[in-house]
Amino acid sequence: MDILLVDDSKTMRLILQRAIRQAGYRGLTVVEAENGMQALEKLKGERPKLILSDWNMPEMSGIEFLKELRATQNNVPFGFVTSEVSLEMKALAMSTGASFLIGKPFTPEAVEEALSPILGGV
Amino acid sequence: MPNEVNAQQLDTIVKSIFATMMDVPIGQSDTPWLPGGDRLTSIVYLDGAWNGAVSLECTASQACQFAGLFLSMDCPDAVDDDVRDVLGELVNMIGGNVKSAMATGVRLSMPSVVDGDDYGLRICGAEIKDRLAFRFIGGDFWVTILAKDDAISTGAMQRSVAKVN
Repeated sequence: MDILLVDDSKTMRLILQRAIRQAGYRGLTVVEAENGMQALEKLKGERPKLILSDWNMPEMSGIEFLKELRATQNNVPFGFVTSEVSLEMKALAMSTGASFLIGKPFTPEAVEEALSPILGGV
Repeated sequence: MPNEVNAQQLDTIVKSIFATMMDVPIGQSDTPWLPGGDRLTSIVYLDGAWNGAVSLECTASQACQFAGLFLSMDCPDAVDDDVRDVLGELVNMIGGNVKSAMATGVRLSMPSVVDGDDYGLRICGAEIKDRLAFRFIGGDFWVTILAKDDAISTGAMQRSVAKVN
């Protein structure tokens, strides 16, 4: 697993998969989860290069998922893709250990700009 | 930061989402709200420092076209879970951006989608703050901000505080 994609919307997972490919990262294995709980399950025994997560999800939100990860000393790079990009949320995300927030709507260029420092240029 | 979003900001948010995610330029229309049959409504609720909702209403045919454009695929023949998911995501983006333009302490719900040919949607204690019509293939669709009484009074209170200061 190279990237774990966490979003309750099937549509958004599809769009993000496409944006990742459009950003030039074609050979990567992307695994999907519908919420934080499911993501934690899928992470067992795995260490992806990056986790991309929505914020607002049922069962376990993105920020709860990130807190849970960091509480277990899991330091996998983590980025949010969310429609809510207020200063308040940015500050909370960064202080919890996120590397970036991509706001929805987003362009493939915005995805590339966020991913390249972590995954390297293509 | 203000605790409410005006019609101009809502217009900018909706146009930006359609242009960025679907590559479709849309413009505002003066068409009054005309709830027809065979339509869908997607809605998200905001609560906390501001209480209300944001909804998007369109025909079934438009919802299918949104899905086709959003997912870069052929337009689905009928409303299915993918179409509902796209409509939910669209209102989630609009609501999220509305929330981000407001003061802190507002929470956003998960989106809900209602479809059918004979339904009404009423949010207790809420009234329409802004309703904008946008031109799209096959007619107009509407985006509405509904504010609950306490949101309106909070906004009014903040305005009066600002005036006193």
